[in-house]
Amino acid sequence: MFGPAEYNIRNERTERLWRILFLVMTILLIIPVLVILATLIVKGGPALSWEFLFDDPKDGMTKGGIFPALVGTIWLVTVALLVSVPLGVAAALYLSEYAPDNLFTRAINLAIINLAGVPSIVHALFGVGAFVIFFGFGTSILSASLTLAIMTLPVVIVATKESLQAVPYAFREACWSMGATRWQTIRRVVLPNAVSGILTGIILEVSRTTGETAPIMFTGAAFFLPFLPEGIFDQTMALSLHLFVVSTQVPNVPEHLPYGVALVLIAMVLIMNSASIALRIYLRSLKKW
Amino acid sequence: MNTMNKKARTAFLVALGLAIGAGSAEARTLIQNKGSDTLVNVAQAWAEAYRNVNSDVAVAITGGGSGTGIAALINGTVDLANSSRAMKKKEIDLAKKKGKTPVQHVVGYDALAVFVHQNNPVQNLSIEQLAEIYGEDGKTEKWTDIGIEVPGCKGQEIVLVSRQNNSGTYAYFRKAILGKARDYKLGTRDMHGSKDVIDLVEKTPCAIGYSGLAYATSHIKMACISQKIGDGCVSPSVVTAEDRSYPIARPLFMYTNGEPKGEVKKYLDWILGDQGQCIISRKGYAPVRAVKCD
Repeated sequence: MFGPAEYNIRNERTERLWRILFLVMTILLIIPVLVILATLIVKGGPALSWEFLFDDPKDGMTKGGIFPALVGTIWLVTVALLVSVPLGVAAALYLSEYAPDNLFTRAINLAIINLAGVPSIVHALFGVGAFVIFFGFGTSILSASLTLAIMTLPVVIVATKESLQAVPYAFREACWSMGATRWQTIRRVVLPNAVSGILTGIILEVSRTTGETAPIMFTGAAFFLPFLPEGIFDQTMALSLHLFVVSTQVPNVPEHLPYGVALVLIAMVLIMNSASIALRIYLRSLKKW
Repeated sequence: MNTMNKKARTAFLVALGLAIGAGSAEARTLIQNKGSDTLVNVAQAWAEAYRNVNSDVAVAITGGGSGTGIAALINGTVDLANSSRAMKKKEIDLAKKKGKTPVQHVVGYDALAVFVHQNNPVQNLSIEQLAEIYGEDGKTEKWTDIGIEVPGCKGQEIVLVSRQNNSGTYAYFRKAILGKARDYKLGTRDMHGSKDVIDLVEKTPCAIGYSGLAYATSHIKMACISQKIGDGCVSPSVVTAEDRSYPIARPLFMYTNGEPKGEVKKYLDWILGDQGQCIISRKGYAPVRAVKCD
């Protein structure tokens, strides 16, 4: 009497079909990731060694290592972060905590979204015009990092804003009721609770900055440099550009070399990401709600 | 906030300031060298070898094409501009307007080889034939038009591989084959580097392409070139480029702003000396004069 009706069974079956379909779609997503990683490890793995990581390119870039490019990428990412994180977090704080909801604020939000949609090659041209020529920084780490910073600012701003807004409004009200100023509230209550979300934004930024080639190609990265950068006004080699160079510009490069460079590039991103994710989990465990 | 934390923060800021300051006060001499993709690998080899000659001088290499190098010289951002073509009058005028006096230095010669797929039976091509293949309104559309049947090429339609238009190779090939006035045919595939041309022609039975001899691999065929059909043809090689018997060989240039001075002059003299010229000939280009290399 209480058994399932005909249509219940039919619904149940359709339900299962949809479930399987969505599962298959999700698995399809993982395949490219696995294939890329597997290809890189199989083809690039043999290239990896201490010499590869810590030696200069030799014999017209067909032998030797990638040390200058590795160091260059670290420089570029660090300087870009030093610029974009304070700027992005400050902008997000203003937009989330101070700005009134008026036309001006909405215009700023729209501008940020549009900035995120600008192709990286356009950022590159902007970087050449603004930093290299107008400000006279020349082709240098500073110009390249500033270009990268501007390109990744929207990511930092949006991620920070969202994590700030995820902090319950009641927290702020409670704080204000105690007589705290806006800044005291932000400093002691809002920011500590939003740190994990802000870190997510920074992780995304680091990954993107590491891999970008176009914005640094014209603004600060060189085909070959026989020295390590010593300051932000030096040019530098970079892993992403080096990968482009050894795979398209230099003749007679052994096949494992470009794959090795790609493997190091992706490993760098993965290591940085996992470190930040671990930090994020730790910070989240400190949350009291 | 406790005082320890504040101190650590100040220390960090000071360290950052020092790092930035250190960048602006350096003892090393830096030579900026930019331009031609044809020369970029030689330039890199020179820069690499020059470290052992004078470790106080560093040479930064950037590619991008002859046009890029010349533009950088005009803007005053490089010490040496690499170019696989001579500067145009328009460019020299512009440079002069900006107070620069470009000085030309020939650093080597390059034979421009015409490449076809390994299976392509073609042996020799004349300049006239190439003009009909590559030139605007040229009549040769298919391999069969010049009496050749290429195995594996569907429809025998010739696939034209060319270069992007700021490339010196693009400009020189056009001048040497088509003459100054004539343009390339529409529908060429413009590659962004000599190596890309080779890679595409290696994989495409129907293709024909051109690039510096230095980029040739063992998986590709080079045509023997004659002036006219029936004339004796010359194969591209370092030797035939050096004695100028190969018809499509061109000088490779480095430009300086004014007569070179100081470290730039020393570097250029070294490039033109025995050591530098041996490096360029090992890379598959012809040296400017006969040198003995081991």
